[in-house]
Amino acid sequence: MRILIILVSLLLMALGAGAACAHAFLDHANPAVGSTVQRAPRDVALSFTLNIDAASSNVQVTDSSGARVDEGKAQISGNTMRIGLKALKPGSYRVRWRVLSVDGHNAEGSFGFTVGGS
Amino acid sequence: MLKHRWFVRALRLCARPRAFALALLFALLPFSEAFAHCFVGPRFFPATLVIDDPCVADEMALPTIDWLKTGTTPPGSEWDISGEFDRRITEDLGFGISDLWSQIRTPGGRVVQGFGDLETTLQYQLLRDASHETAMLVGLIVDWGGTGNVNAGIGTAYSMLTPTYYFGQGLGGLPDDLEFARPLAITGQIGYQIPTTSYVASQGTYIPQVIVYGASLQYSMPYLKSEVKDLQLPDFFNHLIPIVETQFFTPVANNFGNPSITTGTINPGVIYVGSTYQIGLEAIIPVNGASGSGIGVLGQFHLYLDDMSPKTFGQPLISGASSPAKPPL
Repeated sequence: MRILIILVSLLLMALGAGAACAHAFLDHANPAVGSTVQRAPRDVALSFTLNIDAASSNVQVTDSSGARVDEGKAQISGNTMRIGLKALKPGSYRVRWRVLSVDGHNAEGSFGFTVGGS
Repeated sequence: MLKHRWFVRALRLCARPRAFALALLFALLPFSEAFAHCFVGPRFFPATLVIDDPCVADEMALPTIDWLKTGTTPPGSEWDISGEFDRRITEDLGFGISDLWSQIRTPGGRVVQGFGDLETTLQYQLLRDASHETAMLVGLIVDWGGTGNVNAGIGTAYSMLTPTYYFGQGLGGLPDDLEFARPLAITGQIGYQIPTTSYVASQGTYIPQVIVYGASLQYSMPYLKSEVKDLQLPDFFNHLIPIVETQFFTPVANNFGNPSITTGTINPGVIYVGSTYQIGLEAIIPVNGASGSGIGVLGQFHLYLDDMSPKTFGQPLISGASSPAKPPL
């Protein structure tokens, strides 16, 4: 009984400590992570599992030589971050993102996508 | 971190009033900066069940439960219930406290039960290299003698000190032609367990010094989805981390009169990673007869306190400036 009381107390203490938050994970992307698309996308859109802070979040897209192919500023609204792209040629591209979620946790990641030849 | 009483390397929590009071004190002190559990760049190392993960963190394992058959002849049946509470003192310095309760039923029907020795851990984060998905940690584990049920043989009258090195390495840097191996990660630890007594005169027994070592191989489905390829799997599968853990104990000194044999277990299983918690389930496969009989089961419910309450539990107890936003890419 003693251990049960203690364990329940700790659990309640933890659960009652505040509203539940979490790290922002990349929920999905368009173009999708690791995908091959036939038509060059006009932008990259990232959706996260939490709302993100606009001032402290960013995304870049580079081609296989490392040259930037994104243009304009990232547009951030709620849990979504979007950035425009230059006219992409067939090839491999990499998206690098870094976000600060509303609960103060940083997260980062990267993934590739390919634009196929017509 | 875990567990098995006979290894006295147990996952132990606030199973007694002073430990609970200490945990409560740590929980209520003021905080400042926010950081994470074991994220290293895009890599998330989950809290492993048998060995420890390579990060200081604010977390709680509550409870860890296992069932197994002991390595005695004939084997007995053992239940262990344990817990652990970890808090960061500073961004890189962490403190943990844990305890367990064991019940062992011998073949003759005799039952012994009680608490193991209280265990505390002080850890320092040596490295979190985001670009290489590498983490390193050092720590000192202390099993406090006389705090458990010595008469039942579950606690010990002497303490044990185990300086330990921990590491984690994600394989996200593998080339593109090995992309489906990039979600793999390896973690491990090695420690040297030193008892504060070398000889128990009442039992005529030497207490050996032991190397405690183990590793995990894990495959992160969350990493696969967000970093490598979104296979459009049902969401449940994107939360899973299949894993194999091992832990071994090799007496290396002061082992006079004892069998000089390595004991340990192999633990295949899976961890489900939720937003503020994880649930782990593993089999316990003894590596030899001295380590156990048959296959046991190990389960754990683990809370990410830093995510549950980032303004309180999710802050180091002592910190300097508030967490800066990351610089532009």
